[in-house]
Amino acid sequence: MTATNISASPRPPAARKSPKPAAPREPGRDGALLRRLTDPLGALLVVVALAALWEGYKAFGRAVDDRFLGLGLPVATDDLSMPHLWTIVGSLAAPARAGDSTSLAVYLIGETTVTLREALYGLGAGSLLGLVLAVLFVHVAPLNRGLMPWLVASQTVPLVAIAPMIVIWGGKAGLPPWAGVTGIAAYLAFFPVTVNSLRGLKSPPTVQLDFMRSVGAGQLRVLWSLRFPAALPYVFAGLRLAATASVVGAIVGELSAGTGRGIGRAILTSAYYYSNGPEKLYAAVLVAAIAGILFVQVLALLERFALRHRHAR
Amino acid sequence: MAEPAIISVRGVDKVFNGGSDRAVTALQDIDLTIGRGEFISLLGPSGCGKSTLLRVMADLTAPTGGTVTVNGKTPGAARAARDYGMVFQQAGLFEWRSVLRNVELPLQVAGAKKDVHRAKALEMLELVRLSEFAGHYPWQLSGGMQQRVAIARALSADPEILFMDEPLGALDEMNRERLQGELLRIWGDTRTTVVFVTHSISEAVFLSSRVVVMSARPGRIAASIDVDLPYPRTAETRTTPEFFEKVTEVRKALHGAPSEQAAA
Repeated sequence: MTATNISASPRPPAARKSPKPAAPREPGRDGALLRRLTDPLGALLVVVALAALWEGYKAFGRAVDDRFLGLGLPVATDDLSMPHLWTIVGSLAAPARAGDSTSLAVYLIGETTVTLREALYGLGAGSLLGLVLAVLFVHVAPLNRGLMPWLVASQTVPLVAIAPMIVIWGGKAGLPPWAGVTGIAAYLAFFPVTVNSLRGLKSPPTVQLDFMRSVGAGQLRVLWSLRFPAALPYVFAGLRLAATASVVGAIVGELSAGTGRGIGRAILTSAYYYSNGPEKLYAAVLVAAIAGILFVQVLALLERFALRHRHAR
Repeated sequence: MAEPAIISVRGVDKVFNGGSDRAVTALQDIDLTIGRGEFISLLGPSGCGKSTLLRVMADLTAPTGGTVTVNGKTPGAARAARDYGMVFQQAGLFEWRSVLRNVELPLQVAGAKKDVHRAKALEMLELVRLSEFAGHYPWQLSGGMQQRVAIARALSADPEILFMDEPLGALDEMNRERLQGELLRIWGDTRTTVVFVTHSISEAVFLSSRVVVMSARPGRIAASIDVDLPYPRTAETRTTPEFFEKVTEVRKALHGAPSEQAAA
């Protein structure tokens, strides 16, 4: 994660942008219904297209050093390198280990919930820290100037270098291994929340700040009644980035932690025994990806509820 | 003026970027007394400091020199006591709050009980004739309606003074004239003192009991013209010879003032 893509633009509050909205009108409900139907359809189409790409590419060859139209294919297409999709999906129903009664799917989902819990705690702690920093920065400008470069630097340090450190420190402090993993998730999550919240807290136009002053509102009231609600779309934009980052952080954290649990561990294990069943690695990655998407989607749902009265969806 | 003074401005200066070579004198030696219940317009070309003078009275900008008294207090104390309400050129409504909750905001800041401010806000919406839009959100309203909500919001804490900084400037001519009429009715109903900044001569004459003409660079008061046209003023008032005479008198004062450009 680099510092360049951490600042997502939320949809601009439209009431301010369009000087003359038309006469009273109802929010467009018919458009929303249409979108509710076409959105999942679009997502499904992408899945189908990706599946077709995978199987299509695989269909061009059967082994290493295949050639197509005189060009060498960059990745071998044999079953060891690229198992069929149905093999991958089928492996989910098979037992996780020989002689074990639980299926791979149940095992992976179980590990995923461990990871998601770490990610969720990390997201919570990181977002809280991010928000507190943003509030501090908006009120104490020197703090912003002095600390921000260090925060940017903290995000450019490679995660794989930091993760073991955090886990070791957590262990020395007597904390359980999952606490270290949560710490890594929080470490990645706080930054996008800080940057976006700061922008949001600064977003109210002069006229709104002047108005609050004209009614004798103090700093705390301005923060609560103006800056926070104005920042909400920005905060959610930051949270969306933080949610993905926290899942990545939790998975990478598990690789360094001696927890033995979590989808990160499961991926590592199946990579270790790759030749025994390559489809198991892909199945684990698939489950991790789906879990990540669901994790972010829950947040999107929360966002839609919180911003339901705002213009410009 | 027979009424006792509610706002008094004595020898006020305002210099922006003071001390640097980009120093701009926005206001120079301003003396102004506003009586209780007056409807005063501050009229002048852009850059004459009329908005700055209003902001000094509202304690949104500190003067460089001189003294200001608002309702017997310093502007800061008057602001904290919510002695005035303010309407800006943009409505500046909070887009996440319904119309009703926007109007309630000053009362909430004042720490009023919920049922009290609910009732008061509904009363204010009635005053600006927007009761049926209480549950709407700002983006669902036209510009003129948003500005009426802003007026209701400014009046909800029962201020003695209403400061208006070119509140109708962003509206089209039709809406503008309709809202001028509304404003006079509201002024008549509430008996607040209004200080109204505008660059439109006809708007100033139609609304005000007195027009204070300002000149630019540096901002000074060039003339103070009483408008003795009887209230209530209606659309017909605009067509009377007396109205035209007043407009001409104000225009002359404006053009006679030492300024590079005249107001529209």
